[in-house]
Amino acid sequence: MADENDNERMDDNQKSDKMFTLKKWNAVAMWSWDVECDTCAICRVQVMDACLRCQAESKKDSYGKQDCVVVWGECNHSFHYCCMSLWVKQNNRCPLCQQEWSIQRMGK
Amino acid sequence: MSLKPRQVDFNATWGAIKETIRGVITLDHVPRTVWNDRFSDVYSLCVAHPEPLADRLYAETKQYLIDHVAQLLERVQEDGEQNLVKNYFLYWTQYSVGSQYLHSLYLYLNQQHIKTQKMSDAEIIYGSIDPNVATQGDQMEIGELALQVWQSNMITPLGHRLVKLLLEAIDLDRAGQPPKIPIEAVRGTILSFVEVQAYRKKAQLQLYVELFEMTFLNASGEHFKRDAALLLQERNVSLYMEKVKGKIEEELFRARRYLHSSSLPKVAHRCELHMVAEHLQFLYSECNNMVKYEKKNDLSNMYDLLKSVPNALVVLVDTVFDHIKNQGLSAIHNLQGESIHINFVENLLTVYKKYKSLIQEVFKSDQNFMGALDKACNSVINHRANDGRAPCRSPELLAKYCDTLLKKSSKGISESEVDEKLLESIIIFKYIDDKDIFQKFYSRSLAKRLIHQQTQSMDAEEAMINRLKQACGYEFTSKLHRMFTDMSVSADLNNKFQEFLSKDKIELGINFGIYVLQAGAWPLGQAIVTPFALPQQLEKSVQMFESFYHNKFNGRKLTWLHHLCQAELKLGYLKKPYVVTVQTFQMAILLLFEKSDTLSCKEIRETLQLNSEQFKRHAVSLVDSKLLLADTEEIDEVETNLRLNLDYSNKRTKFRITAAIQKETPHEVEQTMNSVEEDRKMYLQAAIVRIMKSRKVLKHNLLIQEVYAQSKVSFAPSVQLIKKCIESLIDKQYIERTPHSSEEYSYVA
Repeated sequence: MADENDNERMDDNQKSDKMFTLKKWNAVAMWSWDVECDTCAICRVQVMDACLRCQAESKKDSYGKQDCVVVWGECNHSFHYCCMSLWVKQNNRCPLCQQEWSIQRMGK
Repeated sequence: MSLKPRQVDFNATWGAIKETIRGVITLDHVPRTVWNDRFSDVYSLCVAHPEPLADRLYAETKQYLIDHVAQLLERVQEDGEQNLVKNYFLYWTQYSVGSQYLHSLYLYLNQQHIKTQKMSDAEIIYGSIDPNVATQGDQMEIGELALQVWQSNMITPLGHRLVKLLLEAIDLDRAGQPPKIPIEAVRGTILSFVEVQAYRKKAQLQLYVELFEMTFLNASGEHFKRDAALLLQERNVSLYMEKVKGKIEEELFRARRYLHSSSLPKVAHRCELHMVAEHLQFLYSECNNMVKYEKKNDLSNMYDLLKSVPNALVVLVDTVFDHIKNQGLSAIHNLQGESIHINFVENLLTVYKKYKSLIQEVFKSDQNFMGALDKACNSVINHRANDGRAPCRSPELLAKYCDTLLKKSSKGISESEVDEKLLESIIIFKYIDDKDIFQKFYSRSLAKRLIHQQTQSMDAEEAMINRLKQACGYEFTSKLHRMFTDMSVSADLNNKFQEFLSKDKIELGINFGIYVLQAGAWPLGQAIVTPFALPQQLEKSVQMFESFYHNKFNGRKLTWLHHLCQAELKLGYLKKPYVVTVQTFQMAILLLFEKSDTLSCKEIRETLQLNSEQFKRHAVSLVDSKLLLADTEEIDEVETNLRLNLDYSNKRTKFRITAAIQKETPHEVEQTMNSVEEDRKMYLQAAIVRIMKSRKVLKHNLLIQEVYAQSKVSFAPSVQLIKKCIESLIDKQYIERTPHSSEEYSYVA
């Protein structure tokens, strides 16, 4: 989108004899968390949506912006970070496989 | 003069007092010194030694007043009936003023002797004692005594004769003839019935009401009946109402002139009773026509007359409701053509505005009529054709209307006009029952506008969403807001990606832009991602962006939505260079023709790995646009050969092949309706669980009621659907039927 002029110049000089010149591509892609299961087993909400608590609180936020990210354990199970951080206070095991919980990575 | 109590000769003193009283009560001249002497005489009698003579003084005074009034009674009657009222008024005026002076003369007696005997005000007002009884036994202040004497010795014997004359005088006035008795005398006489009891704490109007008002109202009632019967002979409702309105005005004016102010509402009520309430059927007979032809003047008269008669407005309100409903339905009946949605909304708004202003003007914004307007709009907008079997299209049409306004194509209308129209569309929106369906259609069209960059103005979009939020709450628009967020996040992302490219000196060979959408927030459906072999020209861009994106974010995966991507392709093989905007799949098909002028459909499909539906849609659109030529009439996905049209020409050098992308196909509409149905079930189940969780045990009907109340904001659920949801929750063991009743549920924790 930004450097249209550069491409324009390039088109004219080098490729004007080609039959088809691809000038511009407006792509659309969808992102989702790379998870095995779409729902968070703790709050039963889709991991793409904010967890229940965050949904209730974000009512104040008029732009629906959410920072409710996903966390993966070493066991590769994933949950809302908010849900999991409450869970481990009671029980430091993965609610799905009972392995000791340790964070493998966090969504960003 | 000494204030000490002393022995007094009652007879001598009373003789002097009596002489003065005569002067006072007849408003004769009483010299100041005499007045002063009598004032102290009253005092000395009251404190007389060896015993006070106050009671005797009181009794003598009372007797004097009785005698005096008896004399006056004779004089009043002296000149015969025709002068009775006039004379009565003359002597009353004199007597009432005189008695006030007399009251002052007896100040000491009043204050020291009588006040002590009297009951407190509170006792009189709140006690259950009858004011007539209470005043008779006890002594009264002299002023009051004088009035009481007048009442029992003047009004009692004369009352009925006076009233008869008074009524005759008023009748004469009604007939428009010159008064025989001066107006002042009539009014003064009538008011004397009030004034004579004005000292009372309670039931001040008793005499007035019993002696005069009741008779007056009955006589007037008869008069109104006769008048009404006379007017009815003309059999013209419109005229009748004019006349009755005039009559009521006139009677109120008369009442103000002659009567005590408390009678005004009673007179008006009588008038309405006999001239309006008793002839409702007659008035209603023209109701339909007046409403039908919207005769503002008549309707306004009708409203004025009916509003004070209890329940009389109902018929008019119902007629107005039916009329608005019919007008509304015919305004949206049989709409055809491309712009159904525009006609639909604008016709409805015309009807709404017309009747709103009519109600404001004619019915003074009466709540009953405003309610009828709401009810009518509601039933028109949620009307289902074919006896309710056809689905209601209003949510869809309204969403489409908004889309048309917010799209770039709406030419010739200024931004403020667009804003105005959007604001008005909220009026319609508020009446829609199935707001959730509207939301689905709206969010779909919003998604399309945003992705295909067809939004006219972001400000207008945001303003509209805020209005919807105001009408329906945060939840209703939260997904719409998330779409906006994605748009601004994507703009940021594009900038960062360009920085990243120029830092590493990477050339993509094309001008690349991207929207990264959040899954779940966009109404795009999941199944749309179909297999596709990416043209080699795009590979680098996709790779570079993915690595950039994964570097920047953690734990995310990207799915490319090729059916939503657009490309600009420059055609260099024709007489003029053309720039054509196409979809990714169309672009991919075209790019294959770089190698060869003719390709079979089979080859194309195999190279691109497109499924047959996708392939067909896009191949057809390219053939339709004449960029490609087919060798068969119908395009067969195996047999047909496609050939590049080397003689293609177009007046415009920049154009777009849109056919395949933006049309809302029937399939999509159906899909939307299905997803609405699913959402409703989830919504209802959630509502049932919430309610049951707080109530623990609830009867079936109450549960249905509560669920209905909760969901009313966004849609009107059918009872069957609620029942279905209850069943499925029982299956899922969220709730169960209580053992002793099948009509009751309990929450399973």
